[in-house]
Amino acid sequence: MPLNQRSDRCQQANTAQTIPAEQTMTYTTFNQAQFDAIKEPMFFGQNVNVSRYDIQRYPVFEKLIEKQLSFFWRPEEVDLTTDRRDFIALPEHEKHIFLSNLKYQILLDSVQGRSPNVALLPVVSLPELETWIETWAFSETIHSRSYTHIIRNIVTEPAQVFDDIVTNEAITKRARDITRYYDDLIAGVSLYHQFGEGRHTVNSEEVEISITDLKRKLYLTLVSVNVLEAIRFYVSFACSFAFAERSTMEGNAKIIKLIARDEALHLTGTQHMLQLMAEGKDDPEMAVIARELQDQARQIFIDAAEQEKDWADYLFRDGSMIGLNRDILGQYVEYITNQRMNAIGFEPAFAIKQNPLPWMNSWLNSDNVQVAPQEVEVSSYLVGQIDSAVESEDFSNFSL
Amino acid sequence: MAHIIKILDGFSFIPRAELTVLEALEQQNVVMEYQCREGFCSSCQVNLVDGEVTYTTEPIAFIPEGKILTCCCQPDSDLIIEIPGGCTIKKP
Repeated sequence: MPLNQRSDRCQQANTAQTIPAEQTMTYTTFNQAQFDAIKEPMFFGQNVNVSRYDIQRYPVFEKLIEKQLSFFWRPEEVDLTTDRRDFIALPEHEKHIFLSNLKYQILLDSVQGRSPNVALLPVVSLPELETWIETWAFSETIHSRSYTHIIRNIVTEPAQVFDDIVTNEAITKRARDITRYYDDLIAGVSLYHQFGEGRHTVNSEEVEISITDLKRKLYLTLVSVNVLEAIRFYVSFACSFAFAERSTMEGNAKIIKLIARDEALHLTGTQHMLQLMAEGKDDPEMAVIARELQDQARQIFIDAAEQEKDWADYLFRDGSMIGLNRDILGQYVEYITNQRMNAIGFEPAFAIKQNPLPWMNSWLNSDNVQVAPQEVEVSSYLVGQIDSAVESEDFSNFSL
Repeated sequence: MAHIIKILDGFSFIPRAELTVLEALEQQNVVMEYQCREGFCSSCQVNLVDGEVTYTTEPIAFIPEGKILTCCCQPDSDLIIEIPGGCTIKKP
């Protein structure tokens, strides 16, 4: 949008009527109010002031942060020189499968690298949760960087791949569903910060702003994030690992393995938030909302599963790959959707009971994620975790 | 003391004491879901119908009531568990 138009809109917005001062809730980067941080709810309480972790309402977020930090990795550590040779040797329809998946993942991580920050930080109220959101989004930026690393290594014109993401209809079709809950929440929260609760006229449109409604938007956003991380990503993972099962594109599979490890942690974070909301101990109103929106939330899972099956159609439009075809991938989508629904206490939506891709588990297992050939990184490794308590009697066996 | 693990709609067995519930089930060739094997992905969750377990490492994943994370716990008593999707034995 040109600058002059934008300032027009701002002016219009500023002419909004009925702004009782006591109702506006402007965001502040350092809340000067004195309050007991441990009594705040996860979202829509006080703005966070001191980033302190000595006392925590939900220590699990601190554990997630530590785990995520111990997972730190850099894409450049993974050597992709053989992948280039492998890629050139792939038949055309498999190149299509590989690149399409990569494009889709680029879209997903572009969204996830910024949206938790933009959408959730303005409304978060607990320091440990705020830091978890930042840590989580940061790790997604590493994933984005790793896609550039992969593309640079396997194709001669990286720009062609990136440019296609915003014009490719099969991808943009799904981008809308992935981002709309985020966008809705962001729009609602920014109006709330400007005008506060109540009925307002903004740009000659009547808008009703209420915290309850924003909480509904937040709940649906978290459900759709959970779907993104727990279902949508796994379709691409399945294809990457299917290539590696045939000993091709193995460098790529190593990177995907590292990404999958991070995503498993992220989805645990989102599941915790959703479960804490549903329990109602954090914010009783959230529990009412979770019950109220259960059908809609279920539908988000089911719609995403259908979209992912459509995506499988697009992937395999010119032919299947060894070990994976449209039907099997579709069954896997249903299977994993059931699992994720079960994890947040929803009734599974599909009849499938058994994993159609049993080999996925060993690829997803992060016990020994090998990065460089000379080092096997144990994922539970933490710096400074040695016993430094040394008593003088520990030296009793020594004599000079 | 050895404890018995009973799988609903499956069979009962006595696991070796040093194994986690997940490892014990795998040793019996039961098809099990897993990913991280260190308590944060919650893939290996099963329903605990009866019995007690001790966690060998504290799990990070959210564990709903009545469920256990098999990758990081050991039986503390005889257990009755139910595997989501049923008990399937790996084909040789």
